[in-house]
Amino acid sequence: MLLARVAEEKIASLFRGGRITGGVFLGKGQEAISVATGIALKEGDIFAPLIRDQAGRLAFGESLLDFTLTYLGARSGPMRGRDGNVHRGRPRDGLLPMISHLGAMVSVVNGMLLAHRFQGKTGTVGAASLGDGATSTGAFHESLNQAAVEKLPLVLVVTNNQYAYSTPNDRQFACADLVDKAIGYGVNGHSVDGTDLAACLQVISDAVRTAREGNGPQLVVASNLRLAGHGEHDDSHYISSHFKKLPLGRDCIEVAQSHLLRNGWADAPSLEVWARECAVQVDEAVAFALREPAPDPALEEWCALSHRHLAEGNPGKP
Amino acid sequence: MPRIPIVMPQLGESIAEATIVAYNIVAGDEVECDQDVLEVETQKAVMGVTSPCSGRVVEWIAQIQSSYAVGETLGFVECSEEEARRLGLDGVPPEPSPMRESLPHGFSPADAAAAPFLQSPPPQKPGGGVAPTLRGLPVPAHASGASFLSPRLKARMAELGLHAADLAGIAGSGAAGRLTIEDFEKFLSQLDQQQLSQASSMRVAVADAMRRSWTRPIATVGMPLVIDPLLAHRKNSTPKPGPALYGLRALAIALGENSALAGRLIGDKIVHPRSIDVGFAVEAEDGVLVPVLRNADRTPLNALVLRYNELVDLARRRRLPADATGGSIATVTNFGSFGLEWATPIPLPEQTLVLGMGAGRVVPRWDAASASFLPATEAHFTLSFDHRVLDGGGAGRLLVRIAELLATPEGL
Amino acid sequence: MITYLEAIREAQRKALENDPRVYLYGQDIGLFGGAFKATKSLAQSFPGRVIDSPICEDAMMGSAIGAALQGMRPVIEMQFADFSTVGFNQIVNQAATMFWRTGESCPITVRLPSGGTPGSGPFHSQNLEALYAHYPGLIILTPATVEDAYSMLLEAIALDDPVIFCEHKYLYYHLKAESLPETALPVGKARIARTGRDATVVTYSAMLHEALAAAEELATQGWEIEIIDLRSIKPLDTDTVLASVARTGRILAVGEAWPWGGVTAEVLARVATDGFNLLDAPPMRLNSKDTPVPFHPNLWGTHRPTASTIANALRDLLRL
Repeated sequence: MLLARVAEEKIASLFRGGRITGGVFLGKGQEAISVATGIALKEGDIFAPLIRDQAGRLAFGESLLDFTLTYLGARSGPMRGRDGNVHRGRPRDGLLPMISHLGAMVSVVNGMLLAHRFQGKTGTVGAASLGDGATSTGAFHESLNQAAVEKLPLVLVVTNNQYAYSTPNDRQFACADLVDKAIGYGVNGHSVDGTDLAACLQVISDAVRTAREGNGPQLVVASNLRLAGHGEHDDSHYISSHFKKLPLGRDCIEVAQSHLLRNGWADAPSLEVWARECAVQVDEAVAFALREPAPDPALEEWCALSHRHLAEGNPGKP
Repeated sequence: MPRIPIVMPQLGESIAEATIVAYNIVAGDEVECDQDVLEVETQKAVMGVTSPCSGRVVEWIAQIQSSYAVGETLGFVECSEEEARRLGLDGVPPEPSPMRESLPHGFSPADAAAAPFLQSPPPQKPGGGVAPTLRGLPVPAHASGASFLSPRLKARMAELGLHAADLAGIAGSGAAGRLTIEDFEKFLSQLDQQQLSQASSMRVAVADAMRRSWTRPIATVGMPLVIDPLLAHRKNSTPKPGPALYGLRALAIALGENSALAGRLIGDKIVHPRSIDVGFAVEAEDGVLVPVLRNADRTPLNALVLRYNELVDLARRRRLPADATGGSIATVTNFGSFGLEWATPIPLPEQTLVLGMGAGRVVPRWDAASASFLPATEAHFTLSFDHRVLDGGGAGRLLVRIAELLATPEGL
Repeated sequence: MITYLEAIREAQRKALENDPRVYLYGQDIGLFGGAFKATKSLAQSFPGRVIDSPICEDAMMGSAIGAALQGMRPVIEMQFADFSTVGFNQIVNQAATMFWRTGESCPITVRLPSGGTPGSGPFHSQNLEALYAHYPGLIILTPATVEDAYSMLLEAIALDDPVIFCEHKYLYYHLKAESLPETALPVGKARIARTGRDATVVTYSAMLHEALAAAEELATQGWEIEIIDLRSIKPLDTDTVLASVARTGRILAVGEAWPWGGVTAEVLARVATDGFNLLDAPPMRLNSKDTPVPFHPNLWGTHRPTASTIANALRDLLRL
């Protein structure tokens, strides 16, 4: 969580230092939910993270370099400059690169789980991360329904951080609680306090285990508050101040740190050491990425097909 | 000590610039890496801009309340070499390092020259200047009609070196009588059934020049001149000037007096010739060469003779130097030497006038004084001209002036 | 005799038989055998591999992409091409961009029952090949013959890139052939369906048959029309088209889809650029009228190109 937070703060700073082209999306306040998902998944599982899942990605095994190389546009990054920031992944490793259309990744996870079934691979789970806004899309509906009908081991982790960009919950859905939707699809629903790492670890691992044991899709709804703008270009002035005073407005890292200190599992100096170590790791990853060459249009292949002989090049130039 | 620029960030996808609201750090102060150093405002929000490294802010270029485009330098932070290296800001190419090996799927680093991400993309071509919209010949306004030549037909014509004029007279079977490619190929195949002989390159060149000349409206005026004074003068001269030289000199003097007569019409302007350079036709092999006498209006006849003879000889031997042809504003041609009495020569494409001299013959002329017919040697002089610049009257007066000048050849 | 539809079924049977990675997914394709019976009896022959999906074109496409990423070769049957637009996002933004963005290919095949039949109306008649061809990263096929319906579907499944397979509903039961082919032209190559001399018709799918009929009519008047069946819309075999125009000097592109930005527009654009000096007359095209496809057969009959309107267009072209 700490590494994710430090890394994102560095990228945000680079953004405000004019070093980054395109958007920057932070998972500040969502680290506990995200990391719990990443930790619960095992080798061979599928993870479709969304835009605030830096902690989950690291826990799932993504290299910090993928983060810096992609944000800083290096051509040696996993997307080679063809896509950027949070739109990255390594499908072969089970880490799906998102497309911007919300809800679209869930059915891709479904498909991968179907493939496992065909291939006789048992015991795998597919997790997809979603926000409260994504639950309104047709893609979300179709995918969850499809997974339920096929009884796939899908775990949807919906983070309700109270706002979809500037849209509050009461303009996003009309049911009392997002977890109530589980009934409609015929799947299990789980609720958890997203600011509490211990609770997240417990509930999300539970949901993943339940899915892995063949009980069909699990819908987890974790509540927290978005502690950053929608993107770093947004100052989130519309977030109602009353949320900040509620328990769900707490910073999950601070909550976790207090928990550690209170239980004597770590002392203040160790926390500082961890923070410094994270900073060093992040600075190294950033420095490395800054030195990497940018994509060169003259060296680019400009071919969108894997069968090159079927690609058309540039028709219309005599 | 490295000076690292502080640049205007892109604070949103469609944002192109932002306004400076306040400095958090003044020049001379120390800063920490990632610390906010100034505040900028876009339509969407007020945001902080961070320092790229720890060090000292040495200079602010940006001013409060001014707007700066994304990417513009706002100021500089000076930092230690070590700091620059640590943060990857030293622009040093990548070295082999354990980090590179840790990259999954073994992405190989690129070529030798590493360009730091911060470098601006290759410069765009400047978009200045407006290109002309029409080039060359105008395109026919509609696709139907006998004048329309399809792209395919034109390509085929280009292959054979033909022009639209060459196709006149071939029947067209296409829309509104236009020539189709089939019509053309049929015409060509029928040619093979007739006797063919090779045209020399001289012939083809002259054909091309005449085609280009003929795009103008050419008209001809003529009158018979008594050439006895000219013949007498010639008899008494050594060396003997060719007859054409007399005509040339008279034409040159007349044009020197009124150069508009040899002008070219460009738009609504008559462009007068720079100097009165007149050419004369010399038959060579199966074509005609036109050597030129420069400033013929300023050089008396006897001074021109040697040069004239020299040029005739060179022309006949096809040895004319490049500067001896071209650039003439009119031509004189003595087709009388073939026995022709009368002809309508065509001016060269770059000229608007050509004076033709027919063969002299003795004819009876009415002499009012003696109330009888007296013999005189007459030759027809014809003047072909570009009717866009001259009318019959002007051409006629020019010819009359030439006649006057030739009546007193000692004045040439 | 084997119909165009049976050829498609046979191809799927063969693929299921020979490649354990292949599975079929679509609405009503299981026991029911599909709305057009394209998968009749396949569910029984290949249990567990011919799966009924809920009505969820987005999830149908998304799950196909996921399965393909994990090594399967899904063949998705959209019940009608017209409904594929509900899954359009997944096709064009996920499947078509996957290789470009990640280097992992996405070997899915999407079967689109396309084209009009009498009474099918605006939402059961569409031809969407140009829509998909516009996006980089997709291969678009439009078989016009029984033989191509068979061999091109097999090739589509074997290709690693996402393929949009536009089969024509009118041809399903109207078109028959003696037998299925052993060999075929590869994807990307057009076929000269009829040689000629006076003009070239470039067309695809059901319109091929209308064009052939038009050519027969013109032959009685002494004109010999050359007809090219494109077979693949993307990649488009520009070379064969240009070679034909080099021989005839005149081109008419015919498509059942709408005119704006259609396949015919693309063909003419290429001929105008690359074959400008081959043209003895302006390049022409003929498409359906620029309205949704009408329901009533009277209206439908004049909405799309037919043998007689193609013949008229050719006569106009030949007169120029």
